[in-house]
Amino acid sequence: MKVFKTDIAIIGGGPAGLSAALAAAKAGARVDIIDAGFLPGGQYWMQDPTGAPPLSDQVSEGRDAIATIRAAGVTIHSGAEVWTVFPDLKIGANGPDGPFEIVPRAIIVASGAHDRVMPFPGWTLPGVMTPGAGQRLAKLGGMSAGDRVVLAGSGPFLLAVAETLAKIGKPPIALIEAKRTNAGILAHMARHPARWREAARLLATARAIPDRRAGWIVTEALGTERVTAVRIAPIATNGVIAHDDAEVIAGIDALLVGWGFRPMIEVTALLRCRHEYDRAQGGWFCATDPKSGRTSVEHVYAAGEVTGIAGSVPARLSGRLAGLAAAADLGFIGSDPAAAQAEAVAKLMPARRFAYGLGRLYAPPESLADLAQDDTVLCRCEEVTKRDVAAALDAGTQAVSGAKMWTRAGMGRCQGRVCGWGIAEIAARITSTTPEAAGFNAPRIPLRPVPLSVVLEATREVEA
Amino acid sequence: MVAGADVIVVGAGVVGAAVAEALSRTGRSVHVVEQGLPGGAVSGASLACIGTHMNDEEELPFLKWCCDEWAAFDAHTPTFEYDRCGQLRFLKQESELNSARHWIDVERNAGLAPELLDPAEVRRIEPLLTGPIHSATWSPNSAVVNPFLAVRMLLETAQAQGVRLTSRAPATKLRLKGDRVIGVETSAGPIDGDHVVIAGGPWTAKLAATAGVDLPIVPRKAQCLATVSQPRSIRTVVGACKAEGGVDAGYTQIQQAMSGQILFNTVLEGGVTAHGSPDAVPEVDRAFIRDSVETLLFLFPSFAEIELLRSWVRYEAVTPDDRFLTGPVGPDGLYIAAGDGGVGFCRSVGMGRIIADQIEGRPSPFRTDLYDPARFERRQAA
Ligand SMILES: Cc1cc2nc3c(=O)[nH]c(=O)nc-3n(C[C@H](O)[C@H](O)[C@H](O)COP(=O)(O)OP(=O)(O)OC[C@H]3O[C@@H](n4cnc5c(N)ncnc54)[C@H](O)[C@@H]3O)c2cc1C
Repeated sequence: MKVFKTDIAIIGGGPAGLSAALAAAKAGARVDIIDAGFLPGGQYWMQDPTGAPPLSDQVSEGRDAIATIRAAGVTIHSGAEVWTVFPDLKIGANGPDGPFEIVPRAIIVASGAHDRVMPFPGWTLPGVMTPGAGQRLAKLGGMSAGDRVVLAGSGPFLLAVAETLAKIGKPPIALIEAKRTNAGILAHMARHPARWREAARLLATARAIPDRRAGWIVTEALGTERVTAVRIAPIATNGVIAHDDAEVIAGIDALLVGWGFRPMIEVTALLRCRHEYDRAQGGWFCATDPKSGRTSVEHVYAAGEVTGIAGSVPARLSGRLAGLAAAADLGFIGSDPAAAQAEAVAKLMPARRFAYGLGRLYAPPESLADLAQDDTVLCRCEEVTKRDVAAALDAGTQAVSGAKMWTRAGMGRCQGRVCGWGIAEIAARITSTTPEAAGFNAPRIPLRPVPLSVVLEATREVEA
Repeated sequence: MVAGADVIVVGAGVVGAAVAEALSRTGRSVHVVEQGLPGGAVSGASLACIGTHMNDEEELPFLKWCCDEWAAFDAHTPTFEYDRCGQLRFLKQESELNSARHWIDVERNAGLAPELLDPAEVRRIEPLLTGPIHSATWSPNSAVVNPFLAVRMLLETAQAQGVRLTSRAPATKLRLKGDRVIGVETSAGPIDGDHVVIAGGPWTAKLAATAGVDLPIVPRKAQCLATVSQPRSIRTVVGACKAEGGVDAGYTQIQQAMSGQILFNTVLEGGVTAHGSPDAVPEVDRAFIRDSVETLLFLFPSFAEIELLRSWVRYEAVTPDDRFLTGPVGPDGLYIAAGDGGVGFCRSVGMGRIIADQIEGRPSPFRTDLYDPARFERRQAA
């Protein structure tokens, strides 16, 4: 098995990871990035592996960033899944050429985010996917989830997805946004003039969509073989869903529905970093010192969405800060690090304020958890229904972990990565507690399923 | 204000659940308090094999009683995936034959039917066990249960008899009046009780200490691995032949859960640690992963490309002679049932019976002196 000794290992090659890598490499540290994608870039700077011309300025910007960090001498391990990080910080990964190990002196976790998925009737039909997955299809080779796509859920990311779909010639036929544009959203935008251009561009895309609703949600996906229609209903600001006023949008072949993002905290949780909960930041996130990205665990730093959902600008800034701090803590000091830090901190604070404000304004309504019916499957891997979960909670167990033990919800192949957020919201609703109290399933080794032959190869050298 | 009870059971692991169930049959009012979630500590992490094979010679009649009790639960409430699948214990070399023959004799004398099988016979029972073993013992009466659902079944059976359960309510202190226990303090407030049974696994000693009772129970790390679900590939419980020296000389257990996941662990000599605290549970260690996967693939070479899915670690409660401490201790009304030594799932229903018998003042259908919490002091005094 190949072993790479390095100063700083960065897990995740999106904007946060790449920015961290550049800052640390410039300071003189040896840096290795491990990224699951075919090419680095993450969701935001995703690069098309077919070599098609960049869809947008965003893609070109990512391409340039990758070229810059390669030139800075950073090693990028693409197509590699991290399956373990041991307490001594040794990282086990499995890549296209088999298992390898990285032995770093410090780790920066820049693992990004998951889509937030809420189970509802029909959500397991083929053709129903998350906006993030729909956007990946478009970005990785110009494929569309369908010819007649409904885009639904909540949050500004839906507009970004609409824009990507429009670029590949398949704009959505309907955009169903749960939030009505209210005075709060307008006032928030008014306070952040730096974002007006982007907002205007995205709103122009939205205006081209024939059926646009604000204050509506998808309550059911309909179809037998795959999704062919959706039922939608108005939702009031207090969360009450007016099922009596439901309408059906028929003749569709794909539904992209999602409720923003949640931080991908598997690695930081495995390393026992301290986590906090805030709905406006996507739920559970890794607590960090904002000026350095230091976590509660020595030699472990975090940057980007894993430290709270905030988008690409804070991701780049927090990445740069974590890169600077991790390098400096190892004795690699670049030119005028104090000034570099001060500049990034000055930009990071307002960018985060903007993002968390949006996060609060577009927080998913709690009544979403009521959409699932008794026979709706919550955990797809183990086929556990809401009825099963409710019966377990009724019999005296509690929280996400109790539901898991008594029903197997979250015990299957995806280990709750897909359904975990939804089950926490639903469990909280059933037991009249908060999603925070419902908790999350602690990740364990391995972080992703990994063949036993790989595990054996990777653990054999233990004495060496 | 929480209403009082005749008996407060601290801990809703399989032992606490079994104690509550046994007491519920006596008509007493019972309140179970659990600091976390029912079955969420050692019990839920268990491989939960119910059997008599290569276990403990002196405990054999007791173990037979426990196995029958589990079968009776299954006959009545078949909700916990009870599966009488039998158990194989593999021998790697001839030198282990003495030990294997010894156990077979002991168990046959007790009326059981274990056998020694050659590799071809083993493969008739376990077709994918194609690794180069010397031979294996076969005990047809062993069963496995789903540990979560078994705890749930015991608690639900008890609740149907009126037992109350409060989750996420740690008992912080025993309450005493003179020489009697009168209840417990919990995070949900004080609870009055004429009797308190601590079935708190590795945390038992800590709560007992609040009444000045010093118990010889220490935590020991236990670890396990699971693969992604597979079609039916393993039919039995596969273990290593018990060598001299008990757990410290090495230990393997491999089985497939009803869900299809293959559950397995191997602890080799020196791999067992007593350090750490049940309150801060670490990840599995690297040597454990290696030994477990190596043993699994030694026995089942065709599993090499199956994916590992999950691992877990718990601290189990260990006593100086690896047997439970079950019975009265310290002030009047205080009982304990803990110190499972890593083999307490099967025994839990028997521990429940002992506590119920003692509180009711009636004899038990098996020896209880083996578990007397005062046995070490007695030995010292003698
Ligand atoms: C990997 C593995 C495999 C195993 N395989 C087998 C097997 O095949 N066969 C077998 O028989 N056994 C097996 N065992 C052992 C068996 O699981 C344990 O012996 C048994 O589960 C112990 O049960 P318990 O109730 O004593 O402990 P626990 O399950 O730990 O229960 C104690 C409970 O008390 C609670 N508690 C403690 N203190 C307090 C307090 N102050 N207030 C409130 N609550 C409190 C705890 O939260 C916990 O829930 C295995 C164990 C492991 C880890």
